[in-house]
Amino acid sequence: MSNSFTRTSGTSVNDTSILDTPILHAEGLTKRVASGERQLTILSELDLTVLPGESVAILGRSGVGKSTLLGLLAGLDTPTAGELSLFGQALSELDEDGRAMLRAGRVGFVFQNFQLLPSLSALENVLLPLELSPRAGEEGTAKDWLNRVGLGERVTHLPKQLSGGEQQRVAIARAFVANPELVFADEPTGNLDPHTGATVIELLFSLNQQERTTLILVTHDHALAGRCDRCLRLEEGRLVEFDPSEVTA
Amino acid sequence: MKAPTLRLAARGLKRDLRAPDVRALFIALVLAVAASTMIAFFLDRLDRGLERQAGQMLGGDLVLEQSEPFSPELRQALIDAGLVLSDQVDLVSMISREDRFQSVSLKVVDDVYPHYGVSHVDLGEGVEEVASGPAAGEAWIDPRLRELVDLKLGDQVQIGQTELRVSGIIEREADQSGGFSSFNPRVMMNIADLEATGLVQPGSRVEFEILAAGPPEAVNRLDDRLAQLRREGVEVRDVRQDRPQLGNALERAESYLGIAGLAAVLLAGVAVAMATRRYVERHLDTAALLRCFGATQRQLVHIFTLQLAGLALAASLLGALLGVLGQALLLRLLSAFLPMSLPAPGIMPLWLGMLTALAVLVGFAGPTLLRLKRVSALKVLRRELDPLPPSAWLVVSVACGVFGGLLWLYSGSITLALGLLLGGIMVLSVLWGVGAALLALLLRGIQALPKGGEWTQALRLGGRQLARRRQAGLGQLLAFSITFFAMAMIVLVRGDLLTTWEAQLPADTPNYFAINIQPGEREGFDAAIADSVEAQSSLYPMVRGRITAINGQPPREAVPEEARGDNALRRELNLTWQAEVPEGNRVVAGEWFDGWQADATASETAYSQGGSGWTAAVDAESQPPPVPVSMEDGLAQRLGLALGDQLTFSIGSDEVRTKITSLRDLNWDSFRPNFYVIFPPGVLERYGHSYITAFHLPKEEQGILPELVSEFPGVSLLNVDAILGQVRDVLTQVTRAVELVLGLVLLAGISVLYAALTASRPVRAHESGLLRVFGAGNRMISRIQGAEFALLGLASGLLAAVLAELATAVLYMFLLDLPPRLHIELWLVLPLGAALLIGVIGHALSYSLRRQAPAASLGLLGEA
Ligand SMILES: Nc1ncnc2c1ncn2[C@@H]1O[C@H](COP(=O)(O)OP(=O)(O)O)[C@@H](O)[C@H]1O
Ligand SMILES: [Mg+2]
Repeated sequence: MSNSFTRTSGTSVNDTSILDTPILHAEGLTKRVASGERQLTILSELDLTVLPGESVAILGRSGVGKSTLLGLLAGLDTPTAGELSLFGQALSELDEDGRAMLRAGRVGFVFQNFQLLPSLSALENVLLPLELSPRAGEEGTAKDWLNRVGLGERVTHLPKQLSGGEQQRVAIARAFVANPELVFADEPTGNLDPHTGATVIELLFSLNQQERTTLILVTHDHALAGRCDRCLRLEEGRLVEFDPSEVTA
Repeated sequence: MKAPTLRLAARGLKRDLRAPDVRALFIALVLAVAASTMIAFFLDRLDRGLERQAGQMLGGDLVLEQSEPFSPELRQALIDAGLVLSDQVDLVSMISREDRFQSVSLKVVDDVYPHYGVSHVDLGEGVEEVASGPAAGEAWIDPRLRELVDLKLGDQVQIGQTELRVSGIIEREADQSGGFSSFNPRVMMNIADLEATGLVQPGSRVEFEILAAGPPEAVNRLDDRLAQLRREGVEVRDVRQDRPQLGNALERAESYLGIAGLAAVLLAGVAVAMATRRYVERHLDTAALLRCFGATQRQLVHIFTLQLAGLALAASLLGALLGVLGQALLLRLLSAFLPMSLPAPGIMPLWLGMLTALAVLVGFAGPTLLRLKRVSALKVLRRELDPLPPSAWLVVSVACGVFGGLLWLYSGSITLALGLLLGGIMVLSVLWGVGAALLALLLRGIQALPKGGEWTQALRLGGRQLARRRQAGLGQLLAFSITFFAMAMIVLVRGDLLTTWEAQLPADTPNYFAINIQPGEREGFDAAIADSVEAQSSLYPMVRGRITAINGQPPREAVPEEARGDNALRRELNLTWQAEVPEGNRVVAGEWFDGWQADATASETAYSQGGSGWTAAVDAESQPPPVPVSMEDGLAQRLGLALGDQLTFSIGSDEVRTKITSLRDLNWDSFRPNFYVIFPPGVLERYGHSYITAFHLPKEEQGILPELVSEFPGVSLLNVDAILGQVRDVLTQVTRAVELVLGLVLLAGISVLYAALTASRPVRAHESGLLRVFGAGNRMISRIQGAEFALLGLASGLLAAVLAELATAVLYMFLLDLPPRLHIELWLVLPLGAALLIGVIGHALSYSLRRQAPAASLGLLGEA
């Protein structure tokens, strides 16, 4: 069931957007960190181009450097070497604040551990990116989004009063509320049981499709990857394209 | 960008009000503001009240006095400057009724009198407040004249060549102007009757005064003219210089209050620093997430600054409100020393309060808060990426800098501020070491307790918890021990020290002073008490004189600035003459007048110059050498005088030139008559004088007092016991006021405890969770926490006892010259009381933590 869904949607999106300029482009991306005495190369000379509207899955074992890559792509961190541009803007030309301003309102995030602020209600958590967006919306928008993820009745609840799946749904609403062009998701089902994970993924993909957002999804779940337009595997610091239907998880 | 930042900040603050660290921050700021504004409000009111009282005491904002009438031109100049004038004439004269005569001090007032305040006068229907002087044809009299010349309301009294009707008995005059001899009873009359008395004659000693009232600007405008008048020999007094000095007790209280208030601010600052650490830790995630969603560093700074500024503003308002209430309470506690009603509180202290809150926030929280700005967005992906906490050195130096600034602001002196700061740092470092040693010793002792009951177990575990947070624990230990020490000192000074001091006085220390014994009564009085008294000092002759020149200059210009308002210059001094150094006096510099002889050939007027103005100036040739005098060392130091300095005294109607030839040290608590200035025999005898003596009258002999009073109505008897009682009252009131502020200091200390608790919350929850997993019940965990704080209290109490014992020992040895004694009660009450207080408070404050513990142990299970 999931496979057919991905195929059809993926193809259509791909067809309409193939001529657009890439929303994200990385070339020769390298990340080395100091690990005790020696240098640890996590990413080496990695290339990646993502077009608007695409959904891209990045797979890899735990500890291979997926989160590190995501951090670089979102401009949260700087590469040791290589060029990276986001929304057509070279990130190396920007300082940390410049990169933050570039993200504001245009990039959404979903994290493995949800990252909801514990002292904020569901609604307040969703409002957070709106407050920083230049296209600042109203509380109504945030409530709409909570409705769309099926939590319209839980707006005043604090994260600790919500289950893991519900918390991740709040996080998804938060990722989409500012109407972003690009959504990063780092193992969004990693902390959820398989059934809950499946519903959360369903939600993520359907919203992504409705909003025509570009999605970059990091996961170690092959089934999940199969629903994306393209699948890439991170191995020894580089990305390798593969067809998930050829590998059985 | 601004609007969303503001909105975010506002929302954040609203949500945060639930968080314990924000509450701790808020409470600490409120306390800092309350303590500082309470004292600032009080001192501000006191200051303005004193200014006003000065005007009332002087009789006006500007008072001119000379021995001849003032020129119309001068009057016009004063009026033009914007002053309202009132004329007054003072002279010493005789009044008579039937065959009785009495010398009185006449105060002749006009219809404008008094500018300020009211007189308390019995006009026939009890004492009432009267805002005028006597009408023409009438006189108001001192109650003493009732006995002295048998005057009653309604009687006619002869003054000079006229008769006036007694229409009032003066209880208290509105002002204290125009009294050159407070020994003579007062008679007040209207200026309309002055001419008819015929008392103003060339050669008679008359003072003409203009009392002028008006705004400070009016007086300022006249500065040049006043300087000129001074040079012409006119006595000029104005409120800007003649502010009355606070009584010693009140002045001490003022500085104690100031120091205690700043101690509260300091403690609150420490609480702020501790709470901020937790606040920042709690907000690192928010900051990282906001960074991730696109917030710039500036926006982050704005958001958190706005939040905290909002918090500080709210705290300032609440704190200032508490400050206003507190100062009202202070005022009531100190009411006995405040002879006046103070003006309403002003607005200035409110600004001071806000400034204090901001300064405390910036100084004690600033460096820690900057950590929020430096947070990396990557933290959302990698939890462990927390920005480094600021170095302890940075935090401490910024806090010291800001606190030093506050000290400067409040004390108004940079040297004092620096001294207090450096001294404070030194004392704190020493105490830090002593406290650490004491705590280590105590904790080792606890661990050595035999294993046994649940309580010892709780104590051992509580002790271990305290040991694990030694730095924070030590900070609280110092905060509490200093507070308890200050409280103990207050109680000791009020009780123990005064009692001990009194007890060490010889049993025959004089308990009565008799003053105003007329030369003719001298022998009679001596005989009357001889059989009853146990010890009596000799009779000292006493003459009153005012210092009118120092080395030829007006006294006010010749002394250091801070001595200008000294009572010794404002009032007449009691002068005496003695051939020998009096008992209890010691010459510390120069020579006693042995061998000095009054020049036998010098005529009566040769030593003196005639009352200025009325007689022609005596030419320099005929001036005799100045009279040698001996001055009390303390006064000489205060006035900046040394051997060889020349003083001119106005005595009776003469000016007497003197030269300081010796300085004396004297024992003020001997309860013997003591004199600032002593003349050699042969100079003062010709002036009107009375005698003073002191004696010890045992309780069983006090029956002779009524007899004594009726036999010598002019003699005043002062009971030393009553004066000591007053001293005790004063001490009680001052210490109450200081205690009130110390209460605030204690609260600030508790806010440190609360802040430390919030800072250590996660760790504590983790510990309690573990204990629970290992099988500790609710009761056990509760006991362990109680034990931890009780131990903290015990250690603070012990340290406080050590400090208090040391401080009293020093006071005993150096101030009272007594062997120090051990205060066993101190060693019991302080540690046990502190253990109980801190134990109970800490236990109560950690209540919500205990409720969290089950959740924490669940979390531990999940971790495994
Ligand atoms: N700043 C860093 N310092 C040291 N090691 C790091 C740093 N960033 C990443 N690593 C290491 O690089 C590896 C990749 O981490 P990560 O990107 O989180 O992997 P994944 O998300 O694929 O599980 C891990 O072994 C991690 O410990
Ligand atoms: Mg990862």
